[in-house]
Amino acid sequence: MNPGGLAVRRGEIYRLLGDISVLLALAIVLGIFANLTRPSSARLPWVGDWKHHIEHRAFRAGVPVVFLPGVRVRLQDSATVVLDAREPENYEAGHLPGALSLPVGQAEERLGDYAALLTPQTPLLLYCDGANCADALELALKLREYGFEDVTLYPGGYAEWTEYGGRVARGGEP
Amino acid sequence: MNRIRPVFLWLARLAVAGLFLTACVAKIRDPESFALAVYRYRILPGSLVNILAILLPWIELVSGAAVLAARPRWRAAGALIIMGMLAVFTAAISLSLVRGIEASCGCFSTRADAAVSDGWNLVRNVALIWLAAAVFLDGLRLRPSPPDPQAP
Repeated sequence: MNPGGLAVRRGEIYRLLGDISVLLALAIVLGIFANLTRPSSARLPWVGDWKHHIEHRAFRAGVPVVFLPGVRVRLQDSATVVLDAREPENYEAGHLPGALSLPVGQAEERLGDYAALLTPQTPLLLYCDGANCADALELALKLREYGFEDVTLYPGGYAEWTEYGGRVARGGEP
Repeated sequence: MNRIRPVFLWLARLAVAGLFLTACVAKIRDPESFALAVYRYRILPGSLVNILAILLPWIELVSGAAVLAARPRWRAAGALIIMGMLAVFTAAISLSLVRGIEASCGCFSTRADAAVSDGWNLVRNVALIWLAAAVFLDGLRLRPSPPDPQAP
């Protein structure tokens, strides 16, 4: 035997491995069954298209992302400038408090309006409609080309902000 | 000590099973958000993210329930699976912290406003591994070897 050590009954380990296999098999069957029986709108595809997800594209482009809790913190930081990359009419209908409107299609022309507020080191937080919108990422890439060094993307965007009860400002002013 | 041990083991089983049975609920309800939480660790290839998000909550459910089973070996099997999952979760959260990913761990909530992972997640996981190890050893009935009668 193994004096002073721990003894396991003969075959116990194999029986344990058998039980683990049974539990895992049961879980896999339940998981597959549950996913197959969900309504098609809620069913998750077995293989997701993550390569085209906005967070993946930002990651590949080297643009940092921040999620809702981090956005709430950054909005308290007066040094951070929040930029709304959506069209002006969407901005006027509602935007994050303090956000400036900078639609991606008009970035070059309108950036001068905010020249007094921005330096290359200014922390910039960009958003658009949400996870299905690429405008904020495109704007982030443009701003980096223009020399801005601290550009962060909020991929959840306006949709997530309002879904979680975030305060909204309306009209053409921040 | 002998009186306290069964109580401790019951509490350990309740804590481990309770946490895992609770943890799986939000993930089963909203697999899409859980898949996003898994993706945000940036560890798995994209092709495996959804499969893990579909199956992992059910592994949590089944192993959590097994820890409450009357049959000791099922408890041991459930506890061992849970220890394995906790070890992987702990490594994944550690890696996220090192890489500066400010995301929720996706442990108990798939909501976008869930608290961002921090060192407390690691402390909690280590404590859970300790409790699960106690349940595992009890379920397997590990015990000191009997003295060898041939020994001098």
